[in-house]
Amino acid sequence: MDKSKKAGRNSSYVIMGLGQLLYGQVIKGLSYLAILILFIFYMVNTGISDITGLVTLGTVEGDAWLGVEGDNSVIMMLRGILTIMIVIAFILVYVSNVKDINYSYRELNKGHKLLGFRDGVSRYIDRKFYVLALFVPVIGVVIFNILPIVFMILISFTNYGGDIVPPKLVDWIGFDNFKKVLLLSEVKVTFVKILKWNLIWAVLSTAINYFGGILLALLLNKKCVRGKAFWRAFPILAYAVPGFITLLGFKFMFSYGGPINYYITQAGGNAVGFLDIDAGWTARIIGIMINAWISIPTSMLLATGMLSNINNELYEAASIDGATKWVQFIKITLPFVVFSTTPTLITSFVGNFNNFGVFYFLRGGLYLDGYFLASDTDLLINWLYNLSIDNNYYGIGAAVSLIIFIITSVISLTTYVNSQAFQKEDTYR
Amino acid sequence: MIKKVSRRPKAIIDTVWTHALLIVISIIFFFPVLWLVMASFSKTGSIYDFKGFFPSEYSLNTYKLLFSDTQMYDYPNWLANTLFVAIGSCCISTILVILTAYTMSRFRFRMRKPIMKTTLVLSMFPSFMGMTAVYLIMVNFNLINNLWSLILVYSAGAPMGYLVQKGYFDTISNSIYEAARIDGATNPVIFTKVTLPLSGPILVYTALTSFAWPWSDFILPNLLLKNRDLWTVAVGLTHMGETEFSRFAAGAIFIAVPIVTLYFCLSKFLVAGVSDGAVKG
Repeated sequence: MDKSKKAGRNSSYVIMGLGQLLYGQVIKGLSYLAILILFIFYMVNTGISDITGLVTLGTVEGDAWLGVEGDNSVIMMLRGILTIMIVIAFILVYVSNVKDINYSYRELNKGHKLLGFRDGVSRYIDRKFYVLALFVPVIGVVIFNILPIVFMILISFTNYGGDIVPPKLVDWIGFDNFKKVLLLSEVKVTFVKILKWNLIWAVLSTAINYFGGILLALLLNKKCVRGKAFWRAFPILAYAVPGFITLLGFKFMFSYGGPINYYITQAGGNAVGFLDIDAGWTARIIGIMINAWISIPTSMLLATGMLSNINNELYEAASIDGATKWVQFIKITLPFVVFSTTPTLITSFVGNFNNFGVFYFLRGGLYLDGYFLASDTDLLINWLYNLSIDNNYYGIGAAVSLIIFIITSVISLTTYVNSQAFQKEDTYR
Repeated sequence: MIKKVSRRPKAIIDTVWTHALLIVISIIFFFPVLWLVMASFSKTGSIYDFKGFFPSEYSLNTYKLLFSDTQMYDYPNWLANTLFVAIGSCCISTILVILTAYTMSRFRFRMRKPIMKTTLVLSMFPSFMGMTAVYLIMVNFNLINNLWSLILVYSAGAPMGYLVQKGYFDTISNSIYEAARIDGATNPVIFTKVTLPLSGPILVYTALTSFAWPWSDFILPNLLLKNRDLWTVAVGLTHMGETEFSRFAAGAIFIAVPIVTLYFCLSKFLVAGVSDGAVKG
């Protein structure tokens, strides 16, 4: 008896599901077996060739004249990644099979009876509720977030883009794209220019939005203000209008026929191309101001929430000690607000660093001399869009996005680790 | 006594300048919106016929055109598409986000920390870094020019933003769950009978935010929808030039009004949601 039990366990190590069948768990065993068969079928049919395709990126170049249907390197890469993910998923199923058979083996050895299929399932749903709950979200994130990101990381090491798009064959080229962006030629010049402006933009607009929001919240929070809800409604209105509408609206406002130029020409001046290709800093400053208009309400809402959380006893104690309002503000309100909003400061910095909308809607699609497919207001993220979506420079675009990722993650990690909120988590509790 | 008298004028001055400042700020925030509303009632429609901020003549003409003149700009159709995508992704996203957040808050399992760290790292990649890949995947699955592809991408990405909701579930006391557990409730029962009834505000918040995003997103529909009659409103509006200004304004108002109304009705939840996310995020 003992020997047959052991044989059942071992057989499941070799052929998934067989042990469960031997133990009499028919439905479970058959499901495992079916997954195994499907997997083998898939691997033999396309899986193995997909994985070799990922390595070679295709060997036969298509030729419409000769009627040769060549390999599509990009699709091959995508399928290769997908296959690797399927293999990982299969390994996970295999591990669960091993765990299951070991569990059954131990139960049988203790002399317990195994649960029937239905009881087993409901027990599993109860005990492992988290697996069930996270199943769909995880699959979704893997296919539509992780797979694309892995794909783009791989693309950044190929010469995909420009002239080299299917049916031409794409090849691995190592770090050449990164060299181009960081060391060589026109691309590097553009990268350095854009990076400088991007940092200025991120610091300036984060500071303006952050302090603007806090000041607005403090102003609304003053005791003498009547009808707080009324005054608060206006920033909330600005917050609620979808961003692209605001941005397009402002674009119209600053356009040649727009109201601002109307008043300028009425006063005898010449119409100004605020957002024209040669606008330079005018366009940049307009962008910063419009971004403030859009973002200050958010940080105001945030600071308002924080202010309502301040422990009133602190103020009472300070008053008893004879602290003036101003001292109370400097010593209690400000540190508290700054402390509790530091984490959002990081997210808002990263958000501004990667703020795609503002300059896309205000001046999208302009290419300036001295820039490689970009203009002087474009941020890295806009450049990325120009490169990879408008102009098919996929390889360089992917390299740029990896560089953006490295910059933003280094910035957020260092600020986070050095921030007060991280070091003294319990100061204000 | 003397002190009190001397302070009073100061307090009045303080009140006066505070309110003056508030009026200026309110105008700054309100005027551009008001301008768009006025523009939608312009008779001729082109921005060149405006007298500064104000249309030269007012009429309801633009609204009629918006819904009748569909040759170039098929607005009713765009609105229907937008509504379909927004409602579809709102339903699916809300379910997925709530499930994810609840699970991450309530259960402790081996993969929990790795999953949290992975989502953190993933969120640091530029948002449309993978767009090219998403586009190729959709081509491969033959889902280009299909509204469902938008719903799929929006809903699949939604669980990544579970932190605010997790922060909410973290505040629900564990003793409630333990009590239910002692009464013999299984985890699915606890979720449907204990957690869901307690999560009204956060459900509303989640539904609102996951409706608002597809409702006003531009990048993804621009990438995945190539047919003019499949466009969403956001894509359509960006194709309107200066001569179609009032049509743009009218179309924008139909998109903005539902969102603004929702935000105002729910502004209480909103402040709570924003600040919870900030503390716990």
